[in-house]
Amino acid sequence: MAESGLPVAFSALQPLLGWALATEAERTHKRQTSEMADIQAFYTAMLAHLEDILVYLNQFPLEHMPPHAQQLMDMTLSLAEIAPAVELFGQPREGDTFDPFRFIPHHQ
Amino acid sequence: MQDRQPTGTGEQAAPARSDDRWNNKYPHLGTAPIPIEPYISREYFALERERIFRHVWLNVGRIEDIPHPGDYVVVALPVCRTSVVVVRGKDGQLHAFHNMCSHRGNKVVWNQNGSCQHFTCTFHGWSYGLDGGLRFVPDEARFCNLKKDKLGLTPVAVDTWAGFIFIHLDPNPTETLRAYLAEVVPGLEGYPFSELSTTCFCWRAEIKANWKVAQDAFQEGYHLPVRHKASAADAFTSETNPHCHFLSLDLYERHRRTSSYGNLNYQPTPVAGKAYQFGSSVVVDRDIALDNLPAGINPTRRSDWSIDTFWIFPNFSIFPSNGTYLTHHFWPMSEERTIWETHTYFPKAENAGQKFSQEYSKVLLRDILMEDGPTLEHMQDVLASGAKTHMPLQHQEICVRHAYSVVEDYVGFYAGR
Repeated sequence: MAESGLPVAFSALQPLLGWALATEAERTHKRQTSEMADIQAFYTAMLAHLEDILVYLNQFPLEHMPPHAQQLMDMTLSLAEIAPAVELFGQPREGDTFDPFRFIPHHQ
Repeated sequence: MQDRQPTGTGEQAAPARSDDRWNNKYPHLGTAPIPIEPYISREYFALERERIFRHVWLNVGRIEDIPHPGDYVVVALPVCRTSVVVVRGKDGQLHAFHNMCSHRGNKVVWNQNGSCQHFTCTFHGWSYGLDGGLRFVPDEARFCNLKKDKLGLTPVAVDTWAGFIFIHLDPNPTETLRAYLAEVVPGLEGYPFSELSTTCFCWRAEIKANWKVAQDAFQEGYHLPVRHKASAADAFTSETNPHCHFLSLDLYERHRRTSSYGNLNYQPTPVAGKAYQFGSSVVVDRDIALDNLPAGINPTRRSDWSIDTFWIFPNFSIFPSNGTYLTHHFWPMSEERTIWETHTYFPKAENAGQKFSQEYSKVLLRDILMEDGPTLEHMQDVLASGAKTHMPLQHQEICVRHAYSVVEDYVGFYAGR
Protein backbone atom coordinates (compact mmCIF):
# COMPACT_ATOMS: atom_id res chain seq x y z
CA MET A 1 0.00 0.00 0.00
CA ALA A 2 2.74 2.43 0.99
CA GLU A 3 5.13 1.66 -1.85
CA SER A 4 5.26 5.10 -3.34
CA GLY A 5 4.96 7.02 -0.09
CA LEU A 6 3.36 10.41 0.36
CA PRO A 7 4.23 13.70 -1.37
CA VAL A 8 7.33 15.23 0.21
CA ALA A 9 5.41 18.17 1.64
CA PHE A 10 3.35 15.75 3.71
CA SER A 11 6.03 13.25 4.63
CA ALA A 12 5.31 13.90 8.31
CA LEU A 13 2.09 11.92 7.79
CA GLN A 14 3.98 8.89 6.51
CA PRO A 15 3.52 6.90 9.76
CA LEU A 16 -0.26 7.20 9.27
CA LEU A 17 -0.34 5.50 5.86
CA GLY A 18 -2.33 2.68 7.38
CA TRP A 19 -5.31 5.03 7.08
CA ALA A 20 -4.98 5.21 3.27
CA LEU A 21 -7.97 3.00 2.58
CA ALA A 22 -9.88 3.02 -0.68
CA THR A 23 -13.42 2.10 0.37
CA GLU A 24 -15.91 3.22 2.98
CA ALA A 25 -16.19 -0.34 4.25
CA GLU A 26 -12.44 -0.47 4.90
CA ARG A 27 -12.42 2.96 6.54
CA THR A 28 -15.37 2.06 8.74
CA HIS A 29 -13.66 -1.15 9.79
CA LYS A 30 -10.49 0.76 10.67
CA ARG A 31 -12.44 3.30 12.73
CA GLN A 32 -14.44 0.70 14.56
CA THR A 33 -11.46 -1.50 15.39
CA SER A 34 -8.97 1.24 16.38
CA GLU A 35 -8.19 2.59 19.82
CA MET A 36 -9.52 6.08 20.41
CA ALA A 37 -6.00 7.34 21.13
CA ASP A 38 -4.91 6.26 17.64
CA ILE A 39 -7.97 7.81 16.05
CA GLN A 40 -7.31 11.04 17.93
CA ALA A 41 -3.65 11.07 16.86
CA PHE A 42 -4.62 10.60 13.22
CA TYR A 43 -7.25 13.34 13.51
CA THR A 44 -4.84 15.83 15.06
CA ALA A 45 -2.11 15.19 12.52
CA MET A 46 -4.43 15.36 9.52
CA LEU A 47 -6.38 18.38 10.64
CA ALA A 48 -3.18 20.39 11.02
CA HIS A 49 -2.45 19.85 7.32
CA LEU A 50 -5.98 19.52 5.93
CA GLU A 51 -6.25 22.82 4.12
CA ASP A 52 -2.81 22.39 2.51
CA ILE A 53 -3.66 18.81 1.59
CA LEU A 54 -6.89 19.76 -0.15
CA VAL A 55 -5.28 22.67 -2.01
CA TYR A 56 -2.53 20.29 -3.11
CA LEU A 57 -4.90 17.53 -4.17
CA ASN A 58 -7.18 19.93 -6.03
CA GLN A 59 -4.53 20.28 -8.73
CA PHE A 60 -5.05 16.66 -9.83
CA PRO A 61 -7.95 15.26 -11.80
CA LEU A 62 -10.05 13.39 -9.29
CA GLU A 63 -10.30 10.19 -11.31
CA HIS A 64 -6.63 10.06 -12.34
CA MET A 65 -4.54 10.97 -9.34
CA PRO A 66 -0.91 9.87 -9.20
CA PRO A 67 -0.47 7.06 -6.66
CA HIS A 68 1.14 9.21 -3.99
CA ALA A 69 -1.69 11.75 -4.23
CA GLN A 70 -4.32 9.03 -4.23
CA GLN A 71 -2.99 7.72 -0.94
CA LEU A 72 -3.25 11.18 0.55
CA MET A 73 -6.78 11.47 -0.86
CA ASP A 74 -7.75 8.20 0.76
CA MET A 75 -6.33 9.46 4.05
CA THR A 76 -8.48 12.60 3.88
CA LEU A 77 -11.50 10.35 3.34
CA SER A 78 -10.48 8.45 6.48
CA LEU A 79 -10.37 11.80 8.28
CA ALA A 80 -13.97 12.37 7.18
CA GLU A 81 -14.77 8.88 8.44
CA ILE A 82 -13.36 9.39 11.93
CA ALA A 83 -14.27 13.08 12.38
CA PRO A 84 -17.63 12.33 14.08
CA ALA A 85 -15.89 9.89 16.43
CA VAL A 86 -13.56 12.65 17.61
CA GLU A 87 -15.70 15.76 17.30
CA LEU A 88 -19.12 14.44 18.31
CA PHE A 89 -18.92 11.13 20.16
CA GLY A 90 -15.52 11.01 21.88
CA GLN A 91 -15.40 7.31 21.04
CA PRO A 92 -15.32 5.25 17.83
CA ARG A 93 -19.10 5.12 17.90
CA GLU A 94 -21.91 6.40 20.06
CA GLY A 95 -22.60 3.92 22.85
CA ASP A 96 -26.11 2.86 21.90
CA THR A 97 -25.87 2.88 18.14
CA PHE A 98 -26.57 0.44 15.36
CA ASP A 99 -23.93 -2.16 14.59
CA PRO A 100 -22.01 -0.31 11.84
CA PHE A 101 -21.30 -3.57 10.07
CA ARG A 102 -25.03 -4.14 9.60
CA PHE A 103 -25.49 -0.83 7.76
CA ILE A 104 -23.89 -2.02 4.56
CA PRO A 105 -22.56 0.43 1.98
CA HIS A 106 -23.46 -0.41 -1.61
CA HIS A 107 -20.85 1.99 -2.95
CA GLN A 108 -17.07 2.44 -2.73
CA MET B 1 -23.20 33.22 8.20
CA GLN B 2 -23.41 32.42 11.86
CA ASP B 3 -24.77 35.83 12.84
CA ARG B 4 -27.60 36.12 10.38
CA GLN B 5 -31.06 36.52 11.78
CA PRO B 6 -33.89 34.41 10.53
CA THR B 7 -35.95 35.95 7.79
CA GLY B 8 -39.12 34.95 6.08
CA THR B 9 -42.36 35.08 7.93
CA GLY B 10 -41.17 37.80 10.26
CA GLU B 11 -40.77 36.38 13.72
CA GLN B 12 -37.50 36.27 15.51
CA ALA B 13 -35.99 32.83 15.55
CA ALA B 14 -39.04 31.10 16.90
CA PRO B 15 -40.73 28.64 14.60
CA ALA B 16 -42.84 27.65 17.59
CA ARG B 17 -45.64 29.66 16.11
CA SER B 18 -49.30 29.70 16.95
CA ASP B 19 -50.04 27.52 13.94
CA ASP B 20 -47.63 24.74 14.85
CA ARG B 21 -50.30 22.96 16.84
CA TRP B 22 -50.80 20.85 13.77
CA ASN B 23 -53.67 18.78 15.11
CA ASN B 24 -55.79 21.93 14.92
CA LYS B 25 -55.10 22.19 11.19
CA TYR B 26 -56.22 18.59 10.62
CA PRO B 27 -59.03 17.97 13.08
CA HIS B 28 -60.33 14.97 11.12
CA LEU B 29 -57.32 12.98 12.34
CA GLY B 30 -58.35 13.43 15.96
CA THR B 31 -56.02 13.59 18.92
CA ALA B 32 -56.55 10.18 20.47
CA PRO B 33 -53.69 7.74 21.06
CA ILE B 34 -53.19 5.40 18.10
CA PRO B 35 -53.25 1.60 18.39
CA ILE B 36 -50.09 -0.48 18.59
CA GLU B 37 -51.66 -3.49 16.91
CA PRO B 38 -50.85 -2.37 13.34
CA TYR B 39 -47.16 -2.44 14.24
CA ILE B 40 -47.08 -5.98 15.57
CA SER B 41 -49.99 -7.93 14.12
CA ARG B 42 -49.40 -10.64 11.52
CA GLU B 43 -53.03 -10.30 10.45
CA TYR B 44 -52.58 -6.56 9.91
CA PHE B 45 -49.45 -7.20 7.87
CA ALA B 46 -51.28 -9.70 5.69
CA LEU B 47 -53.88 -7.03 4.93
CA GLU B 48 -51.17 -4.48 4.10
CA ARG B 49 -49.74 -7.04 1.69
CA GLU B 50 -53.08 -7.58 -0.01
CA ARG B 51 -54.56 -4.11 0.07
CA ILE B 52 -51.65 -1.68 -0.19
CA PHE B 53 -48.49 -2.86 -1.88
CA ARG B 54 -50.14 -4.60 -4.80
CA HIS B 55 -52.26 -1.56 -5.55
CA VAL B 56 -49.96 1.47 -5.46
CA TRP B 57 -47.00 2.88 -7.34
CA LEU B 58 -43.71 1.95 -5.68
CA ASN B 59 -40.43 3.75 -6.24
CA VAL B 60 -37.63 1.38 -7.22
CA GLY B 61 -34.82 3.78 -8.08
CA ARG B 62 -33.73 6.42 -10.52
CA ILE B 63 -33.15 6.52 -14.26
CA GLU B 64 -29.43 7.11 -13.64
CA ASP B 65 -29.31 3.53 -12.29
CA ILE B 66 -30.02 2.11 -15.76
CA PRO B 67 -28.94 4.70 -18.34
CA HIS B 68 -28.19 2.43 -21.33
CA PRO B 69 -30.19 -0.16 -23.32
CA GLY B 70 -29.78 -3.53 -21.62
CA ASP B 71 -29.07 -2.03 -18.17
CA TYR B 72 -31.26 -3.60 -15.52
CA VAL B 73 -31.91 -3.70 -11.79
CA VAL B 74 -33.70 -6.38 -9.82
CA VAL B 75 -35.88 -5.10 -7.01
CA ALA B 76 -36.86 -7.50 -4.26
CA LEU B 77 -40.45 -7.01 -3.08
CA PRO B 78 -40.79 -9.53 -0.28
CA VAL B 79 -44.04 -7.90 0.78
CA CYS B 80 -45.50 -8.95 -2.58
CA ARG B 81 -43.61 -12.24 -2.59
CA THR B 82 -41.89 -11.35 -5.84
CA SER B 83 -38.93 -9.59 -7.33
CA VAL B 84 -39.15 -7.32 -10.31
CA VAL B 85 -36.68 -6.78 -13.14
CA VAL B 86 -36.61 -3.21 -14.46
CA VAL B 87 -34.68 -2.93 -17.71
CA ARG B 88 -34.00 -0.31 -20.34
CA GLY B 89 -34.98 -1.84 -23.65
CA LYS B 90 -33.26 -1.54 -27.01
CA ASP B 91 -35.81 1.17 -27.79
CA GLY B 92 -34.62 3.18 -24.78
CA GLN B 93 -37.93 2.62 -22.98
CA LEU B 94 -38.22 1.08 -19.54
CA HIS B 95 -39.82 -2.34 -19.12
CA ALA B 96 -40.56 -4.22 -15.93
CA PHE B 97 -41.40 -7.87 -15.29
CA HIS B 98 -41.79 -10.34 -12.51
CA ASN B 99 -38.45 -12.11 -12.21
CA MET B 100 -39.92 -15.49 -13.02
CA CYS B 101 -39.36 -17.82 -15.93
CA SER B 102 -42.57 -18.72 -17.77
CA HIS B 103 -41.54 -22.36 -17.89
CA ARG B 104 -41.26 -23.66 -14.33
CA GLY B 105 -40.79 -20.53 -12.32
CA ASN B 106 -37.08 -20.18 -11.80
CA LYS B 107 -35.69 -16.69 -11.25
CA VAL B 108 -34.56 -15.44 -14.64
CA VAL B 109 -32.10 -12.88 -13.27
CA TRP B 110 -29.95 -13.66 -10.28
CA ASN B 111 -27.77 -10.53 -10.13
CA GLN B 112 -29.00 -7.38 -8.40
CA ASN B 113 -28.07 -5.29 -11.43
CA GLY B 114 -26.15 -5.52 -14.66
CA SER B 115 -26.39 -5.15 -18.40
CA CYS B 116 -27.34 -7.75 -21.00
CA GLN B 117 -28.81 -8.32 -24.44
CA HIS B 118 -31.39 -10.87 -23.30
CA PHE B 119 -32.38 -12.79 -20.18
CA THR B 120 -31.67 -16.52 -20.16
CA CYS B 121 -33.01 -18.82 -17.48
CA THR B 122 -30.27 -20.94 -15.95
CA PHE B 123 -32.59 -23.91 -15.38
CA HIS B 124 -33.48 -25.06 -18.93
CA GLY B 125 -32.17 -22.15 -21.00
CA TRP B 126 -35.38 -20.36 -21.97
CA SER B 127 -34.41 -16.95 -23.27
CA TYR B 128 -36.30 -13.63 -23.25
CA GLY B 129 -35.79 -10.31 -25.02
CA LEU B 130 -35.41 -7.03 -23.15
CA ASP B 131 -39.09 -6.43 -23.92
CA GLY B 132 -39.94 -9.62 -21.99
CA GLY B 133 -40.93 -11.64 -25.06
CA LEU B 134 -40.00 -15.33 -25.13
CA ARG B 135 -37.36 -15.70 -27.84
CA PHE B 136 -35.86 -19.17 -27.57
CA VAL B 137 -36.80 -22.52 -26.05
CA PRO B 138 -34.26 -25.38 -26.21
CA ASP B 139 -35.72 -28.56 -27.71
CA GLU B 140 -38.87 -26.61 -28.50
CA ALA B 141 -40.26 -29.34 -30.79
CA ARG B 142 -40.78 -31.62 -27.81
CA PHE B 143 -43.38 -29.28 -26.31
CA CYS B 144 -46.97 -29.75 -27.39
CA ASN B 145 -48.69 -26.63 -28.70
CA LEU B 146 -46.27 -24.25 -26.99
CA LYS B 147 -47.65 -20.72 -27.52
CA LYS B 148 -44.43 -18.74 -27.30
CA ASP B 149 -46.17 -15.43 -27.95
CA LYS B 150 -48.23 -15.96 -24.77
CA LEU B 151 -45.27 -16.99 -22.65
CA GLY B 152 -43.36 -13.77 -22.18
CA LEU B 153 -42.28 -12.59 -18.73
CA THR B 154 -45.25 -11.32 -16.71
CA PRO B 155 -45.29 -7.55 -17.11
CA VAL B 156 -45.42 -4.96 -14.38
CA ALA B 157 -46.38 -1.34 -15.04
CA VAL B 158 -43.46 1.10 -15.00
CA ASP B 159 -43.31 4.88 -15.34
CA THR B 160 -41.08 7.75 -14.27
CA TRP B 161 -41.45 11.16 -12.73
CA ALA B 162 -38.55 13.60 -12.31
CA GLY B 163 -36.19 10.72 -13.01
CA PHE B 164 -37.67 8.48 -10.29
CA ILE B 165 -38.72 5.05 -11.53
CA PHE B 166 -41.96 3.67 -10.15
CA ILE B 167 -43.56 0.30 -10.73
CA HIS B 168 -47.10 -0.94 -10.17
CA LEU B 169 -47.79 -4.66 -9.89
CA ASP B 170 -51.04 -4.22 -11.79
CA PRO B 171 -49.81 -4.12 -15.41
CA ASN B 172 -52.74 -1.84 -16.24
CA PRO B 173 -53.18 0.37 -13.18
CA THR B 174 -56.35 2.42 -12.97
CA GLU B 175 -54.42 5.41 -11.66
CA THR B 176 -51.52 6.92 -13.61
CA LEU B 177 -48.26 7.67 -11.82
CA ARG B 178 -48.78 11.37 -12.46
CA ALA B 179 -52.20 11.23 -10.82
CA TYR B 180 -50.80 9.21 -7.95
CA LEU B 181 -48.12 11.83 -7.27
CA ALA B 182 -50.29 14.86 -8.01
CA GLU B 183 -50.38 15.95 -4.37
CA VAL B 184 -46.61 16.25 -4.05
CA VAL B 185 -45.67 17.32 -7.57
CA PRO B 186 -46.17 21.06 -6.96
CA GLY B 187 -43.82 20.90 -3.99
CA LEU B 188 -41.05 19.09 -5.83
CA GLU B 189 -41.44 20.61 -9.28
CA GLY B 190 -38.27 22.29 -10.43
CA TYR B 191 -35.95 20.71 -7.89
CA PRO B 192 -32.71 19.83 -9.76
CA PHE B 193 -32.88 16.07 -9.23
CA SER B 194 -30.99 15.26 -12.44
CA GLU B 195 -28.10 17.61 -11.68
CA LEU B 196 -27.84 16.31 -8.13
CA SER B 197 -28.07 12.62 -8.98
CA THR B 198 -24.69 12.08 -10.60
CA THR B 199 -23.15 10.77 -7.37
CA CYS B 200 -25.09 8.33 -5.24
CA PHE B 201 -24.21 6.60 -2.00
CA CYS B 202 -26.44 3.82 -0.75
CA TRP B 203 -26.63 1.84 2.47
CA ARG B 204 -28.91 -1.09 3.16
CA ALA B 205 -29.73 -2.84 6.42
CA GLU B 206 -32.13 -5.57 7.39
CA ILE B 207 -33.71 -4.62 10.69
CA LYS B 208 -35.96 -6.38 13.14
CA ALA B 209 -38.77 -3.85 13.15
CA ASN B 210 -42.09 -3.31 11.44
CA TRP B 211 -41.77 -1.08 8.38
CA LYS B 212 -44.01 1.56 9.99
CA VAL B 213 -42.01 1.57 13.21
CA ALA B 214 -38.94 2.27 11.11
CA GLN B 215 -40.50 4.86 8.85
CA ASP B 216 -42.26 6.72 11.64
CA ALA B 217 -38.95 7.46 13.34
CA PHE B 218 -38.04 9.70 10.43
CA GLN B 219 -41.38 11.49 10.34
CA GLU B 220 -40.88 13.64 13.41
CA GLY B 221 -38.12 15.82 14.83
CA TYR B 222 -39.29 15.45 18.41
CA HIS B 223 -36.72 12.71 19.04
CA LEU B 224 -33.83 14.61 17.51
CA PRO B 225 -32.56 16.62 20.53
CA VAL B 226 -32.62 13.46 22.63
CA ARG B 227 -31.71 10.60 20.33
CA HIS B 228 -29.24 12.65 18.27
CA LYS B 229 -27.99 14.81 21.12
CA ALA B 230 -24.32 14.48 20.22
CA SER B 231 -24.58 14.20 16.46
CA ALA B 232 -27.24 16.57 15.19
CA ALA B 233 -28.95 18.56 17.95
CA ASP B 234 -26.64 21.58 17.58
CA ALA B 235 -27.42 21.94 13.89
CA PHE B 236 -31.16 21.30 13.98
CA THR B 237 -32.29 22.76 17.31
CA SER B 238 -31.57 25.94 19.25
CA GLU B 239 -32.72 27.78 22.35
CA THR B 240 -35.59 29.20 20.34
CA ASN B 241 -36.56 25.83 18.85
CA PRO B 242 -35.32 23.29 21.38
CA HIS B 243 -37.71 20.51 20.30
CA CYS B 244 -37.10 20.72 16.56
CA HIS B 245 -40.57 21.95 15.66
CA PHE B 246 -41.38 21.93 11.96
CA LEU B 247 -41.40 25.20 10.05
CA SER B 248 -44.37 24.01 8.04
CA LEU B 249 -46.16 20.86 7.03
CA ASP B 250 -48.96 19.75 4.77
CA LEU B 251 -50.86 16.50 4.99
CA TYR B 252 -52.48 15.27 1.81
CA GLU B 253 -54.84 12.42 1.04
CA ARG B 254 -52.02 9.84 0.94
CA HIS B 255 -48.75 11.72 0.97
CA ARG B 256 -47.37 14.52 3.14
CA ARG B 257 -44.56 17.02 3.29
CA THR B 258 -42.67 18.80 6.07
CA SER B 259 -40.12 21.58 6.31
CA SER B 260 -37.45 21.39 9.00
CA TYR B 261 -35.62 23.96 11.04
CA GLY B 262 -31.89 24.64 10.95
CA ASN B 263 -29.94 26.52 13.60
CA LEU B 264 -28.36 29.63 12.08
CA ASN B 265 -26.05 29.93 15.07
CA TYR B 266 -24.67 26.43 14.65
CA GLN B 267 -20.90 26.47 15.06
CA PRO B 268 -19.38 23.85 12.78
CA THR B 269 -16.77 21.49 14.11
CA PRO B 270 -13.26 21.91 12.61
CA VAL B 271 -13.73 19.20 9.99
CA ALA B 272 -17.29 20.30 9.18
CA GLY B 273 -15.95 23.80 8.68
CA LYS B 274 -13.31 22.61 6.22
CA ALA B 275 -15.88 20.46 4.43
CA TYR B 276 -18.00 23.57 3.98
CA GLN B 277 -15.02 25.66 2.87
CA PHE B 278 -14.11 23.19 0.13
CA GLY B 279 -17.57 22.01 -0.82
CA SER B 280 -20.95 22.41 0.79
CA SER B 281 -22.78 21.13 3.81
CA VAL B 282 -26.36 20.59 4.83
CA VAL B 283 -25.61 21.69 8.37
CA VAL B 284 -23.65 24.82 7.53
CA ASP B 285 -24.50 26.17 4.12
CA ARG B 286 -27.88 27.77 3.81
CA ASP B 287 -26.93 31.06 2.20
CA ILE B 288 -28.17 30.35 -1.30
CA ALA B 289 -31.15 28.26 -0.32
CA LEU B 290 -33.78 30.94 -0.51
CA ASP B 291 -32.83 32.29 -3.92
CA ASN B 292 -32.01 29.11 -5.78
CA LEU B 293 -34.56 26.61 -4.57
CA PRO B 294 -37.92 26.21 -6.27
CA ALA B 295 -40.90 27.70 -4.46
CA GLY B 296 -42.17 24.34 -3.24
CA ILE B 297 -39.00 23.65 -1.25
CA ASN B 298 -38.76 25.57 2.03
CA PRO B 299 -42.15 27.09 1.22
CA THR B 300 -42.09 29.51 4.16
CA ARG B 301 -38.86 30.96 2.74
CA ARG B 302 -37.23 31.14 6.14
CA SER B 303 -33.47 31.32 6.32
CA ASP B 304 -33.46 29.14 9.45
CA TRP B 305 -34.32 26.14 7.29
CA SER B 306 -32.41 22.91 6.77
CA ILE B 307 -34.30 20.29 4.78
CA ASP B 308 -37.73 19.34 3.51
CA THR B 309 -39.27 15.91 3.40
CA PHE B 310 -41.83 14.47 1.03
CA TRP B 311 -43.45 11.24 2.15
CA ILE B 312 -44.76 9.29 -0.80
CA PHE B 313 -47.15 6.57 0.22
CA PRO B 314 -46.52 3.94 1.23
CA ASN B 315 -42.78 3.49 1.83
CA PHE B 316 -40.73 6.10 -0.02
CA SER B 317 -39.47 9.50 1.11
CA ILE B 318 -37.43 12.25 -0.51
CA PHE B 319 -35.49 14.78 1.58
CA PRO B 320 -34.47 17.69 -0.66
CA SER B 321 -31.98 20.13 0.79
CA ASN B 322 -29.63 22.72 -0.57
CA GLY B 323 -27.34 21.05 -3.10
CA THR B 324 -28.00 17.50 -1.95
CA TYR B 325 -30.92 15.22 -1.26
CA LEU B 326 -31.51 11.83 0.24
CA THR B 327 -34.19 9.16 0.06
CA HIS B 328 -35.39 6.37 2.31
CA HIS B 329 -37.17 3.17 1.36
CA PHE B 330 -38.65 0.86 3.96
CA TRP B 331 -39.40 -2.49 2.34
CA PRO B 332 -41.58 -4.72 4.50
CA MET B 333 -40.54 -8.35 4.83
CA SER B 334 -42.85 -9.44 7.62
CA GLU B 335 -44.68 -7.79 10.50
CA GLU B 336 -41.33 -7.46 12.27
CA ARG B 337 -38.71 -7.42 9.52
CA THR B 338 -37.82 -4.58 7.17
CA ILE B 339 -35.18 -3.73 4.62
CA TRP B 340 -34.10 -0.15 5.19
CA GLU B 341 -32.39 1.58 2.27
CA THR B 342 -30.97 5.07 2.28
CA HIS B 343 -29.58 6.81 -0.79
CA THR B 344 -27.85 10.17 -0.62
CA TYR B 345 -27.17 12.13 -3.79
CA PHE B 346 -24.68 14.80 -4.74
CA PRO B 347 -23.55 16.54 -7.91
CA LYS B 348 -20.40 15.06 -9.40
CA ALA B 349 -17.38 16.06 -7.32
CA GLU B 350 -15.01 18.02 -9.54
CA ASN B 351 -11.99 17.97 -7.27
CA ALA B 352 -10.55 16.52 -4.07
CA GLY B 353 -12.03 19.23 -1.86
CA GLN B 354 -15.54 18.54 -3.07
CA LYS B 355 -14.99 14.82 -2.74
CA PHE B 356 -13.84 15.29 0.85
CA SER B 357 -16.83 17.49 1.57
CA GLN B 358 -19.24 14.88 0.21
CA GLU B 359 -17.50 12.14 2.15
CA TYR B 360 -17.89 14.07 5.39
CA SER B 361 -21.56 14.80 4.64
CA LYS B 362 -22.40 11.18 3.94
CA VAL B 363 -20.44 9.83 6.89
CA LEU B 364 -22.20 12.28 9.21
CA LEU B 365 -25.56 11.30 7.74
CA ARG B 366 -24.75 7.62 8.17
CA ASP B 367 -23.67 8.09 11.77
CA ILE B 368 -26.86 10.01 12.56
CA LEU B 369 -28.99 7.31 10.93
CA MET B 370 -27.19 4.57 12.82
CA GLU B 371 -28.30 6.20 16.06
CA ASP B 372 -31.88 5.48 14.97
CA GLY B 373 -31.27 1.79 14.36
CA PRO B 374 -31.34 0.47 17.94
CA THR B 375 -34.42 2.50 18.82
CA LEU B 376 -36.35 0.82 16.03
CA GLU B 377 -35.42 -2.68 17.14
CA HIS B 378 -35.94 -1.98 20.84
CA MET B 379 -39.38 -0.55 20.10
CA GLN B 380 -40.39 -3.57 18.08
CA ASP B 381 -39.31 -5.91 20.84
CA VAL B 382 -41.30 -4.08 23.46
CA LEU B 383 -44.38 -3.17 21.42
CA ALA B 384 -44.88 -6.88 20.83
CA SER B 385 -45.05 -7.50 24.57
CA GLY B 386 -48.66 -6.37 24.63
CA ALA B 387 -48.00 -4.41 27.81
CA LYS B 388 -49.63 -1.38 26.23
CA THR B 389 -52.24 -1.12 23.50
CA HIS B 390 -51.96 2.52 22.37
CA MET B 391 -49.40 5.29 22.04
CA PRO B 392 -50.03 9.01 22.60
CA LEU B 393 -48.79 11.45 19.95
CA GLN B 394 -48.19 15.19 20.17
CA HIS B 395 -48.75 17.90 17.57
CA GLN B 396 -45.23 17.54 16.16
CA GLU B 397 -45.82 13.83 15.61
CA ILE B 398 -48.86 14.38 13.43
CA CYS B 399 -47.11 12.75 10.47
CA VAL B 400 -47.05 9.48 12.41
CA ARG B 401 -50.78 9.92 13.08
CA HIS B 402 -51.42 10.70 9.42
CA ALA B 403 -49.36 7.74 8.25
CA TYR B 404 -51.33 5.43 10.50
CA SER B 405 -54.58 6.90 9.21
CA VAL B 406 -53.68 6.50 5.53
CA VAL B 407 -52.55 2.90 6.00
CA GLU B 408 -55.73 2.12 7.91
CA ASP B 409 -57.82 3.70 5.15
CA TYR B 410 -56.36 1.14 2.74
CA VAL B 411 -56.35 -1.78 5.15
CA GLY B 412 -59.71 -1.29 6.86
CA PHE B 413 -58.68 -3.41 9.83
CA TYR B 414 -60.74 -1.37 12.27
CA ALA B 415 -63.60 -0.59 9.89
CA GLY B 416 -66.81 -1.96 11.32
CA ARG B 417 -65.19 -3.03 14.58
